[in-house]
Amino acid sequence: MAETLDWRGSRQDAASRASAATGRDVIGSGISMRNVVKKYGAFVAADRINLDIEPGEFITLLGPSGSGKTTLLNLLAGFQTIDGGEILIDGKSIAHVPTHRRGFGMVFQSYALFPNMTVAQNVAFPLRMAGVDRATSDRRVAETLEMMRLSEHARKTPSEMSGGQQQRVAIARAIVMRPKVVLMDEPLSALDRRLRESIQIEIRELHQTIGSTILFVTHDQSEALTMSDRIAVMDKGHIIQMARPVEIYRHPQSRFVASFVGESNLIEAEILENRGGKMRLRSRAGYVFEAESRNGAASGAATVLVRPERIALHDQPSANTVAATVTSALFMGETLRIEAVMEGGETLLIRCPDTAARNLPEIGTRIHVSWNAQDCWVLA
Amino acid sequence: MSDTSISAPPATAKGGRGFWRNPALLLLPATLFLAVIYVLPLIDLGRVSMTGEPWWAHFARVFSVPLYWESLIRTMKIALTVACLCAVFGYPTALLIQRSRGIMQVLIATTVILPYFIAILIRTYAWMVLLGRNGPINKFAIWLGIYDQPLALLFNRGTVLLGMTAVLMPLMVLTIYSSLSRLDPSLTRAALASGAGPLAVFWRVLLPLTLPGIGAGFLLVFVSALGFFITPTLLGGPADQMFAMHITQQADSITGEGFLQALAVVLLLITLGVVAVAGRMMGFEFIWGGGKLSDTTEAPTKTRNRAAGQGRRSLGMMVADLIGWPLLRLLGRMPAAVGAWTVRGIGVLIICTLILPILVVIVISFSEASYLTFPPPGWSLKWYEKFFSDSNWMTAFWNSLGIAALSATIAVTLGASAAMGIVRSEIRYKSALMLLLVSPMIVPPVVLGLSLYSLFLQMGLVGTYFGLAAAHAIGGIPIVVVIVAASLQAVDRKLEQGAAVHGASPLTVFRTVTLPAIAPGLAAAVFFAFLHSFDELVLSLFLSSPRMKTLPLMLWADINYQLNPVLAVVSTLEVLLVVGGIILARPVLSRSRGGH
Repeated sequence: MAETLDWRGSRQDAASRASAATGRDVIGSGISMRNVVKKYGAFVAADRINLDIEPGEFITLLGPSGSGKTTLLNLLAGFQTIDGGEILIDGKSIAHVPTHRRGFGMVFQSYALFPNMTVAQNVAFPLRMAGVDRATSDRRVAETLEMMRLSEHARKTPSEMSGGQQQRVAIARAIVMRPKVVLMDEPLSALDRRLRESIQIEIRELHQTIGSTILFVTHDQSEALTMSDRIAVMDKGHIIQMARPVEIYRHPQSRFVASFVGESNLIEAEILENRGGKMRLRSRAGYVFEAESRNGAASGAATVLVRPERIALHDQPSANTVAATVTSALFMGETLRIEAVMEGGETLLIRCPDTAARNLPEIGTRIHVSWNAQDCWVLA
Repeated sequence: MSDTSISAPPATAKGGRGFWRNPALLLLPATLFLAVIYVLPLIDLGRVSMTGEPWWAHFARVFSVPLYWESLIRTMKIALTVACLCAVFGYPTALLIQRSRGIMQVLIATTVILPYFIAILIRTYAWMVLLGRNGPINKFAIWLGIYDQPLALLFNRGTVLLGMTAVLMPLMVLTIYSSLSRLDPSLTRAALASGAGPLAVFWRVLLPLTLPGIGAGFLLVFVSALGFFITPTLLGGPADQMFAMHITQQADSITGEGFLQALAVVLLLITLGVVAVAGRMMGFEFIWGGGKLSDTTEAPTKTRNRAAGQGRRSLGMMVADLIGWPLLRLLGRMPAAVGAWTVRGIGVLIICTLILPILVVIVISFSEASYLTFPPPGWSLKWYEKFFSDSNWMTAFWNSLGIAALSATIAVTLGASAAMGIVRSEIRYKSALMLLLVSPMIVPPVVLGLSLYSLFLQMGLVGTYFGLAAAHAIGGIPIVVVIVAASLQAVDRKLEQGAAVHGASPLTVFRTVTLPAIAPGLAAAVFFAFLHSFDELVLSLFLSSPRMKTLPLMLWADINYQLNPVLAVVSTLEVLLVVGGIILARPVLSRSRGGH
């Protein structure tokens, strides 16, 4: 207990340093998971998960529902007991530390604001629990509310506020202690798109300011791409790939990641020739094309990813183009979304910017498409 | 025929049908029924109570004769103690139900729900068996060597408090549980993640948020206890007379008319006063444990409640800040398991208190001995034989069955249509009407019985099948209204609108969408209305004749005359009936709190 208090005390110093400093001051903890297993009866929610998170990193756990991302968060928070393996915070196992002594901050999808307390009291809650004296507590609450632009709402109760405001209060409550780790469980999924985007940016900036390690759970791939330092893509209790957003988007390591993150054309092909990454492939439909990719075997079958926005549209055929017939064309605002069937029967999804030069093609129109060899990514 | 002559008649016909289609009309039968058989007799009761000279003479006597006002004070004290005991022990039990999972949760919940539906008379009888001279508690204590002669455990204040607390405990537990289960579970997690220990979570989050539930449970128990009659009569001594008992005793010995009614009016006014104050503070919904009704007249009340709530909240916060925080930090140093084990300990204690008496009675019904002793010296079915071959018992049994069936029919017909009217109509004063419909739940049965007695005398209904069934239906209607209204509110209006948009007539919509959705609720309502009548004793005491015996009346007479195992047989059969009903009604019970 005494140890915990000392530790909290030192954390407050770090916090005041962080708020005083103009630059980024990392106070977050490193998190490591070693062979973490969690089962619900026969269902394995987390299957020997290994994960290393650097201090101060913003990590997103991305995956479809039931992939185990919320389970990992709950294990980290201590809401559920671990069935195997261990979780280390700054190198120390937290197996025997109960939730309320872990000193994390947490934001919930349902906000989970205490309806019997005002905004200020909600935000002060973690401070009071840590035994911070009244004056310090008041000052810190005021600072945090100021930071979240909530100062004028301090005396309101949660039920008097909009969803977006409530979630900002929940975030304020989670960061008021300047915790080493902040857990966010799909915090934005109850909000409408515009609000979601503005709070995404806010959370991102907040992360820069306070320097905590943030673990963010979402099933929204665009949210993950915008916010994270690194993304861990999860499926069926496994981490499939963990990398920077650009890497995840451009160079996915599996079909699952390629199709879950962003839109994709996955072309089944055979490698005819591979000279140090410069390949010639033949699609199942018989179309031969070139690709430059550091991934991929010397020969044999391969799946080639071409992102829809990398495909160019031409009115006239030329040497590098393939003919296709438009089967669907939608105006999406900033882009046109076109589906076309290539000769040989493969369907391509194409995204091209909406420009004055191009009108939405009519269904049945014959078009010519092309892509650069560098825009292909060969999946192993 | 011109176009206009064709279109005109349907227009008028439609106007006429429109009136008859107003769902508010569905409220009419139940309202009329209650007005005649419930409101008018109570008004008449008030009139008779004021026939003294001057008009307040009878009331003056109530408050000047020490026997009565001392009993009034005693009644208040007992009711308050029982309500406090129920709250203190009921909260951990409700928490235990909420925290357990799977089959454990079902088991624990059943041990609370089961006694809730067993007749008070039978549960009190079980305590008499348990605490009797040769009962298991005396036997066990002697076996342990705590004392060597059986003690007289019965007929004192302690047993009255124990018995009443045990009888009313399920009401408290279920009320608190329903408010606990409505909480967002991530609130607890948020508090834990914010560094609050289990104790702090309870003190700062669970307790403040379930305070309305505790308040509702406290008031329901308090109000029920105020009018309690059966348990204190059977378990109490001469020094434990409760107010309701005077009314029945006076009814036996005919004293001056008017004074008796004055006693009843005093009890009724105190009850209504408590309910009115509580209702103003937290909304009258606490009576039926339901959500708010959509009602235009309710909006101002709601905002005012909130404003008042805020004031109280900040005051509570200040108190909590002053003493709560230092205390919490001190107690927070205890191992976290202490709280969990306290909850478990109290929960298990309460569950034993609720279920053990019933188990003992079931065991004793198979006893060979002709007196009550535990454990039984030998086993036999002779008391079952005796019950099924005794023409008195069998007549009473068939009477009860017939009356209960008739009463359930009346209650469900009137109550279900009234529930439809309440949920589906757009009338004003909906809350007031709902309050009228459920108010029989809170009127002490003794008062109701006395007020009906003179009406039934005039109409020649005393000791008749129909009379008893109608009287029992007064208490059956609120049960039906609460259950059916809850099931109706759970029906997605979009489903009905969907059916209507696709061409179903209102009747077809009701038959194909609404009725299947509320069918389990209706079934439960039928069962509980039946059970209410089957178990009813107090009204029957007033309204029955010596030739018209029901099962509870026979039990009552026998308990007062001699305690024998036939009573245990009847109790066992009742337990079987309730268990069967609960199994049938489980899907509904999990959704609403059910009737009481």
